[in-house]
Amino acid sequence: MEQAGWIKLLRPRRHAALNTLTRGSGRSRLSRLFLFGFVGGIFWLGTFAIFFRVLTYFQSVEEFGDILAMRLLSMIVITFFALLIFSSIINSLTHLYLSRDLSLLHALPLSSERIFSARWTGSFLDSSWMVLIFSLPVFASLGMVYQAGLLFYLTAFISILLLCLIAQGISSIVVVLGAVMLPAGKIRTLFVILGVVLAIVLIVALRLIRPEQLVNPEGFASVVVYLNSLQALDTPWLPTTWITDALRYALKLSWLQVLFSLALAASFFLVLMFVNDTLARTFYFRGFSRAQTTPGRLFAPLRLRGYGWESMLSFLARPARALAVKEIRTFFRDSTQWPQLFLIGALIIIYLYNFSVLPLENAPVRAVYLQNVFSFLNVALASFVLSAIAARFVFPAVSFEGEAFWILRASPVSMKTFLWVKFFLYYAPLLILTEALIVVSNTLLSVTPFMMLLSIITVFFLVPAIVALAVGLGAVYPDFTSENPAMAATGFGGLLFMFLCFTLIAMVIMLQAGPVYRIFMADVHGLTISFRLIAWSSISFAAALMLCLIAVFLPMRLAEKKLTRE
Amino acid sequence: MIELIDLSKNYAATQAVKNLNLRVARGEIYGFIGPNGAGKTTTIRMMGGIIEPTSGQILIENMDMRLDPVSAKKIIGFVPDRPFLYDKLTGMEFLKFISDIYCVDPLTFPQKAQGLLEQFELWPWRNEIIAAYSHGMKQRLIIAAALLHDPRVLVIDEPMVGLDPSAVRLVKDILKDLAAKGVTVFVSTHTLSIAQDLCDRIGVIHKGNLLAEGTMPQLNRAAKTGDAGLEDVFLTLVREA
Repeated sequence: MEQAGWIKLLRPRRHAALNTLTRGSGRSRLSRLFLFGFVGGIFWLGTFAIFFRVLTYFQSVEEFGDILAMRLLSMIVITFFALLIFSSIINSLTHLYLSRDLSLLHALPLSSERIFSARWTGSFLDSSWMVLIFSLPVFASLGMVYQAGLLFYLTAFISILLLCLIAQGISSIVVVLGAVMLPAGKIRTLFVILGVVLAIVLIVALRLIRPEQLVNPEGFASVVVYLNSLQALDTPWLPTTWITDALRYALKLSWLQVLFSLALAASFFLVLMFVNDTLARTFYFRGFSRAQTTPGRLFAPLRLRGYGWESMLSFLARPARALAVKEIRTFFRDSTQWPQLFLIGALIIIYLYNFSVLPLENAPVRAVYLQNVFSFLNVALASFVLSAIAARFVFPAVSFEGEAFWILRASPVSMKTFLWVKFFLYYAPLLILTEALIVVSNTLLSVTPFMMLLSIITVFFLVPAIVALAVGLGAVYPDFTSENPAMAATGFGGLLFMFLCFTLIAMVIMLQAGPVYRIFMADVHGLTISFRLIAWSSISFAAALMLCLIAVFLPMRLAEKKLTRE
Repeated sequence: MIELIDLSKNYAATQAVKNLNLRVARGEIYGFIGPNGAGKTTTIRMMGGIIEPTSGQILIENMDMRLDPVSAKKIIGFVPDRPFLYDKLTGMEFLKFISDIYCVDPLTFPQKAQGLLEQFELWPWRNEIIAAYSHGMKQRLIIAAALLHDPRVLVIDEPMVGLDPSAVRLVKDILKDLAAKGVTVFVSTHTLSIAQDLCDRIGVIHKGNLLAEGTMPQLNRAAKTGDAGLEDVFLTLVREA
């Protein structure tokens, strides 16, 4: 029987994307385009500038320059591959087994292979577009520093495309096999955990390469050890090696070797496609049927001597407690949240590890000065990390109510209570997390007590501001109908949130930087702190505090108005 | 008692509800019928406090929904047309959540919850997460939750969708029983036979306007359909509107 081609199955997706872009008032569309373009452009240019600067510096290092650049290239390709694998596993799982429209698709007169092909392509597009776009400035800087010709850019594009296709090919094989092997009902949970474990292993492996040693060749016992360590990860059977080689040889104009590396990657991709096709015919529909089984709980509820953890919230008023208990339960029972928590744990370990290995003792600047500068930057960095975590977990918190939001709208609880319960539920753990990050990293840096205190206080006021911005803007730009509410953070509201967070952090840091530098220098030179400096400091700190308070109350007020009036 | 006074709702260029006026007395079952897109669900969602009217007033037991929504909602039991619930909670946890939100006496909650879950044949599934429930089970759970706090007003959108015949009978009996005890019931439905069988009075809405309301004889007079059934009355009124 004749069937519709799988490309046609991508039409709803294309139409949905076009409708999102073209519908709505012209003004809001323009403002969206402007914000996306502006933030994307800044990120793109920033990435380009950083890589251009680093690669130019490497070029100036005699003998080792090229090796260092190639080492960096290898690490970038591995990082992209790790991100792609992680993203492809999650996307394959959603596109192939969990999307709501799959029931409709499987009811259509189409073979499961066709559905598989269409969903595979959708998953590939979703997991690859960001890496494709943001790899451009990296390769552009590489090409410009090495004054490469057009063919290099073509090679770079084909290479990164093949990397994306290979990652998707591997991920879909893992997902399809897992769907028939794992117990029905646990597929969703265990798969996502699997993806994260893979991502953590890759990130930790990358971290353990200790890239900071790239700029410290003196630290190695001999040139041989140094060179060996630089080539440690170039295993010939890894796809990342083929891609790195293709790029490396394209810079050296060795086109035959470029073709060989690309052919290796392409043939590997074709093998993966053959395996995918065979698996799709044999296992895809069986796995899909199993995934329709009732999802089961991964862990039994925690009870101690008959008392649940809920009793710890008994100090709250009943409606507020009910909201808090519901929020905590739904959060931890949502299997998509778990891997993200593991990932954050891994990233925090790496973050702190970075501080422990900073080669401050080798720095040409005075160590005490540098330590305190780092401590100051640390506040900004930790706040950026907090903003990213808030974007992922707090911003979609209101959207996570989903289509069950009618329950709260119809219930005798004000939107104000609902929003502030959300705020405090995220504020408490994020404050502890950020303060712990600051205290531990500052301890590793051995900063002065003044800088330690200043960092702790600054973060104490920045955390509620960022959390309130996330809750507030998440409520102003909610998405109650999305299959994956976490994706709300990737829309206009999420982008606006990140932009406002970065602006707030930058303003608070700038307001503090001037007076803190003066106070610090006065201390270093043994001078007394003048009245003018005290006044300047007071005004600056008060302005920073005021900014934080505005960031707490204004978005919450706007959110309350939005939810009440809608 | 429910009173809607000059109630209107606009969505961009569309006026979904136009100056709607109606009154439902205490202990009365009022049926609200109309074609698709007539404004039924919009009206019901405004009555439940889920959306805000563009203009007009909603009085629930003389409490203004706009001025004091929390108090008004405390005495309403609301059942939407689609059973969206918190999938990650169990049936019993959901009822506990609702009981805390509506401040149901914690001492009577276990007994009430058990009674309702047994009545709606959900007791064996009380500790299963809602994601595992069928559509009909979710619908029964929502109705059970709406009754948990002994509401004085029940606002129900399409109560019978997804229910099996025995559950339909059960819900009909419960609504009649509640009305007999003085609870005001406002029901929107497409199932005209149920509306005719269950409701004391019926309102017909079309394109946001209330075309006619009253008992069956009053509706027949308005539609000039003799002593025809509700289906004929409805089709005549809508066709001539």
